[in-house]
Amino acid sequence: MTARTTRFRAALALGAGALALAACAPSADTGDGGGDGDTTLTVWSWRVEDKAAYEKIFDAYEQSHPGVTVEFKPFKATEYNKILATGLAGSDGPDVPQVRSYGGLQTTVASGALMPLDDAVDLSAWDEGIVAGARGKEDGKLYSVPLARQATVLFYDKALFAEHGVDVPTTWDEFIAANEAFLAKDITPLAVGAKDDWTLPIVHEVLAAPRFGGSQFQDAVASGETDFTDPDWVASVDVLGDLEKYMPKSVTGVAVTDAMTLFSSGQAAMYPGGSFDLATLQTANPEMDLGVFQVPPPPGSPSGSDATTAAWADGNFAVNAASPDKEAATELVTWMATPEFGQMVADEIKQISAVPGVTYSDPVLAQVAADLDDRGSSYLLLTDFRYGSPSGTDLLGKGVQELFLGSKTAEQVSAELDKGVKTWFQPAS
Amino acid sequence: MSRRTGLLFLTPALALFGVFVLYPMLTAFSYAFYEWQGTSRGGFSGLTNFTALFTRAPFTTDLPRALWHNVAFFLGTMAVQNTVGLTIAFLLHRRDRSRRLLQTLYAMPYLVSPIVIGYLWTLLLSPTFGPVNTLLTKVGLESWALPWLGDPDTALWVVILVSVWQWIGFPVLLYGAALGGVPEELTEAARVDGASHVQAFRRITFPLLVPAIGTVSVLTFIFAMEAFALPYAFGGSTGNPAGATDFISLLFYRTAFDSGATDAIGTSSALATLLFLLIFGGAYAATAVLRRHERRITT
Repeated sequence: MTARTTRFRAALALGAGALALAACAPSADTGDGGGDGDTTLTVWSWRVEDKAAYEKIFDAYEQSHPGVTVEFKPFKATEYNKILATGLAGSDGPDVPQVRSYGGLQTTVASGALMPLDDAVDLSAWDEGIVAGARGKEDGKLYSVPLARQATVLFYDKALFAEHGVDVPTTWDEFIAANEAFLAKDITPLAVGAKDDWTLPIVHEVLAAPRFGGSQFQDAVASGETDFTDPDWVASVDVLGDLEKYMPKSVTGVAVTDAMTLFSSGQAAMYPGGSFDLATLQTANPEMDLGVFQVPPPPGSPSGSDATTAAWADGNFAVNAASPDKEAATELVTWMATPEFGQMVADEIKQISAVPGVTYSDPVLAQVAADLDDRGSSYLLLTDFRYGSPSGTDLLGKGVQELFLGSKTAEQVSAELDKGVKTWFQPAS
Repeated sequence: MSRRTGLLFLTPALALFGVFVLYPMLTAFSYAFYEWQGTSRGGFSGLTNFTALFTRAPFTTDLPRALWHNVAFFLGTMAVQNTVGLTIAFLLHRRDRSRRLLQTLYAMPYLVSPIVIGYLWTLLLSPTFGPVNTLLTKVGLESWALPWLGDPDTALWVVILVSVWQWIGFPVLLYGAALGGVPEELTEAARVDGASHVQAFRRITFPLLVPAIGTVSVLTFIFAMEAFALPYAFGGSTGNPAGATDFISLLFYRTAFDSGATDAIGTSSALATLLFLLIFGGAYAATAVLRRHERRITT
């Protein structure tokens, strides 16, 4: 391989009058030394906070792959999509871009910017719900390797549970009794911030997944056997309405940061959120003894439906189809599917790796990973209903707010979700 | 200085304006007329992107609602800002020594970024930790301790009033300057002829203030139609709760950057074009009316 030049491209977003456009600055050349067999791969990511961890990980890769240098270049998360789109459209993009998953990946795939990896990477042993997030929706080809799994989880304050003599509930009745016990002590049982609509589909998944039937429902809705007007789905939305009395007062005015503060300051007992909240909670109160448990199935749940932890793929890595070093880039991405890389993701980045069979030193992460392997499912509205606009998560988020405000019933919320996604969703059969 | 030298001096500014404002704007207009697959442009598609805005979900529900919120934001801001602003300016006009200080104080919030203002007020109005509701409860006004930003009936008003609170210094300054420009001889002459204070204000001062009121109105219109930062700080990009604080710019932002739709560039450019035409048309019409009035009072 010969020396290659990197070019800088400045992306400028102009917001005047809500007109946003990208303009290009002239390119400047920077030599990267060149020489015999030297390859420099650039990796782009939106995880500025993980820079040190990635550099450590790629140092290990460079040692086992002499002649290869990996440059990790993170950008501000909120600007990343625009920067990546500009980079991939030109000739100055990264060799290995971090890309979004599921619906968020499709724009990039449609642009023809990514190389299919089916021949290079074998993910047949992986959870199909996670791998689906790395595929193109249209052609079903694999365009990336999933990095991490995020899960919807119910965090609980172990000390608060012990102090009030409440055990981790294993039945719905025990769950309700636990909520009542905290309510009687003036402790908010469920810290929910319904002002931020994006959290509500997660809250629904955490508290009511067994009521609509988890994976069984996912299969039925994907094949067109049923839809969101299904009585079990409607009842699952109603579960949130029934649990509202255990949430903070005026819940639609409570921001998710307020909910997390209630929980981490010991004023609330449980917090339905995502595994991505773990670091924030641990930073907010390092002393806190955190645990997670799966909410037991409410009465009336479909037969065979059990408590579950729902997951999705987050932050995949792909190969730029225009990269001059596609071979080396593919080798790097292939390495990202190995247990060696997966273990480093767990240890250094402190995320649940997408690679099966990785061990975790953090007890909460270990518990979530075990729950996923044991009784995992997909976070349906994200994994299957974000391929079009309006997305399933947007519709349910707004709908649950209306349910809490009393302006819509669970039937109406479900019917609107159904109508909204049907403008673009096609069942498989 | 010759005409040519003048042009020469203008060239750097014109070049910058052309490259960074005019060119991107014209490109955005052109984007609206093409098919898009992610970032790759397809064939010419005529008005398809524009018709999508009026026929396709979520635009069919979100666009009229967002437009109404923009209009309500304009009307609400106008009603409060012009009356309160003019009153404050009028009261300050009679004070000689404290005028400067008070004008500066009123203009202070204007110096803080709307994102920060929105964040601060979100904290103040929070139903869990916010001091506003705690205070209301303490003084016995418990029924007033509402979830201000959590209730669609109050959320839009909070956005309007906080915006007015932030920007009130601007009309106060403008009206203050306009009041200073009203010749005292005119009001004095009217007073000598037996006009009351109210009559003098209504017949003499107010008509002479109309150009300033017009300027404030046009600027408020533009400001209200492209409102983004403050609603974003209050309700996020989806206009929480339940779309009660949704605005056209937020809808544009969602369509362009959050929707994940493969034709996002086309539809969002079409929306931006419509918004531009609305603002341009509205501002142009208002300015034309204003000019006519100005001609009338100066001749």
